[in-house]
Amino acid sequence: MSTSSVGVPRSILHYEFGGFLASFLARLDVPVTLSPATDRRIFQAGKHWMLDEICLPVKAFAGHVSWLVQQDIDAVLIPVIVSHENGRVFPCHVRTRLADIVVALGLCSRERLLTPTFHFDDVGLSDDGLYELGATLGASVEAVARARDECSLFLSPEHVSETSQTGSPTIALLGHPYVVEDPWLNGDVIERLRRLGCAVRFAPLGEIGYSPSWTGLHFDLAARTMTTVRQWDNDESIDGIVFLLPFNCGPDGDIARHMAQNTRTPMMTLVLDELRSDGGICTRLEAFVDLLAHRQLAGGVLP
Amino acid sequence: MRYFTFSWGKNYIAVRALLRVLGHDLATPPEITASVIERGISAAHPFLCFSGKLVLGQLQAQVDRGEQHMTFMSSLGPEACRCADTSEYLESLFGTMCPAFSAHRIGGDGIGTALDNLQSHFGPRITRTQCMRAYAMFFGKVDLLDKIERHCLALFYHCPDPERVRALQAEAIRRVDHAHGMLSLWRVSRWFDRVVATLPKRTSPPLARIGIVGGEHILSELDSILMRLKLLAEQGVLLDWRGGFRCLARSNEARLAPLKEQCGAYLSPDVSTSEIFSCAHALDFAAERYDGLLHIYAFGCMPQTAAKPILQRIAKDAGIPMMSLAIGDRFAEEGLDNRVEAFVDLLHSRRTSRKVAV
Repeated sequence: MSTSSVGVPRSILHYEFGGFLASFLARLDVPVTLSPATDRRIFQAGKHWMLDEICLPVKAFAGHVSWLVQQDIDAVLIPVIVSHENGRVFPCHVRTRLADIVVALGLCSRERLLTPTFHFDDVGLSDDGLYELGATLGASVEAVARARDECSLFLSPEHVSETSQTGSPTIALLGHPYVVEDPWLNGDVIERLRRLGCAVRFAPLGEIGYSPSWTGLHFDLAARTMTTVRQWDNDESIDGIVFLLPFNCGPDGDIARHMAQNTRTPMMTLVLDELRSDGGICTRLEAFVDLLAHRQLAGGVLP
Repeated sequence: MRYFTFSWGKNYIAVRALLRVLGHDLATPPEITASVIERGISAAHPFLCFSGKLVLGQLQAQVDRGEQHMTFMSSLGPEACRCADTSEYLESLFGTMCPAFSAHRIGGDGIGTALDNLQSHFGPRITRTQCMRAYAMFFGKVDLLDKIERHCLALFYHCPDPERVRALQAEAIRRVDHAHGMLSLWRVSRWFDRVVATLPKRTSPPLARIGIVGGEHILSELDSILMRLKLLAEQGVLLDWRGGFRCLARSNEARLAPLKEQCGAYLSPDVSTSEIFSCAHALDFAAERYDGLLHIYAFGCMPQTAAKPILQRIAKDAGIPMMSLAIGDRFAEEGLDNRVEAFVDLLHSRRTSRKVAV
């Protein structure tokens, strides 16, 4: 191998790919350093580097890169996601430019970055980017193909959907994987809901950016959010939906009001920003769970 | 049938030309006033970019006055942004208050999808030839409007008689709107060139030369910003803006390739989003030794938010001061004036000190 060790930020793409990137590298026998879970220190480091108006998860992402560049590693992996569904659906501009932004900020030199280009065609991740990555790392074509086959893409979310106990509400968590799966970013909402006696449901990670029913939306994760909420809206076992909306997320901001107006299942939008307080999150979750309980008592009708 | 849309600066005139070829017409959008802005802000989600809020405000004002058939031009390629997926969103906003409301998205990523879009909205009898004529008029007017805007922006510095420039700009735009064919557009262009040649010119060098980069929507849409900047030009600052709406129509890879090569040190070559234009223009200004860069964008604009750190890096590497102005809900013209004045003072004193050092 020409590169001896690679750092993977535990942020954005790590969660979008369900841990695939680190597993793939490990199967190529590349030593992998995964940055630790997001905490205040990491977030503050990212905030120091990043623009004020950029979305909350990208600030955290910069913190993870900042942590990695201080480690004894040769390169940081930041794939460039270009398009999904053969160029019909696209990542937002900020996510697609993560590598360029990191370099422009002086956080990491371009030479120290691994930036394979990933396309998604109609059946999933095109192999081109993986071969590009493998070639950069000195891996053979056979080794890349083997590692690709051994890793199941998008199938290892950190949380598993739960079944509701009798009487307790089931709440589905809607949002981008890198918000839903990151407890620091989402204010530990999963644990808080469990403490309130709720069963928590998650969107499957499979087919990211894909929409079984074509939404016509331009942005990949907004299309996924819209598809998921439409499925959940027809699922009688879901009592309520909590939509985790990070500050200044354009694609989800655009559809938030539309979803709230057109979804029959009660939905609460929890805007997450760096100024939030745990107390505020608790209060809103408690109020929402109380509302659902009242609704159940009233026979499914909101008071 | 009469359609309505948002203004895009004066680019609604180009949309009107496209519709006229197809036998339809377009209402003149209302001016962007404080009340239109407020309507947009109240209708939109807070995270929508400020340009989007202006658009919503203008649409809302037209729905109020009874317009029912909306059309909007959007690109569908990777360079597109929210405009590419707003149909359903607009239906949900306006459909309830206006039962006959319909939204027609025109545009596409090539003649094939453009024709499909036109046929799906205006009927299957639209021919390929009609489609090509409609788009020829659209792009002809977009380009001529862009030329007029850009020349007049520079003329506000070059010509000591700003009133004549203002009158020329208004008359040129009126003539573009009334032009019904490519030949008449060419005549308008020739007439404009002739009048420009007759205007008196300043002989003194500019206080500073500033290159403007940023979001096309906000630069076109909000006349108040450009008006403030034009006042700056009248005070002896040479302004240059190389954007234009042509950038927002889908650009093919052949056209993007040289720009991507130019931006190779800053941008990944596989991504074809609209930040490429801002970065390429900034690099041009740097190569031409402009005194400063002014980055103007709408708060919440995703392409420009992604471009901002990259533009800052370009300016830093070139040793040129850059000021970013985010125009958002709390935008105040006084604040803009103060910041721009301070920036011009900085550039002027920098230029003067360089001369002294030489």
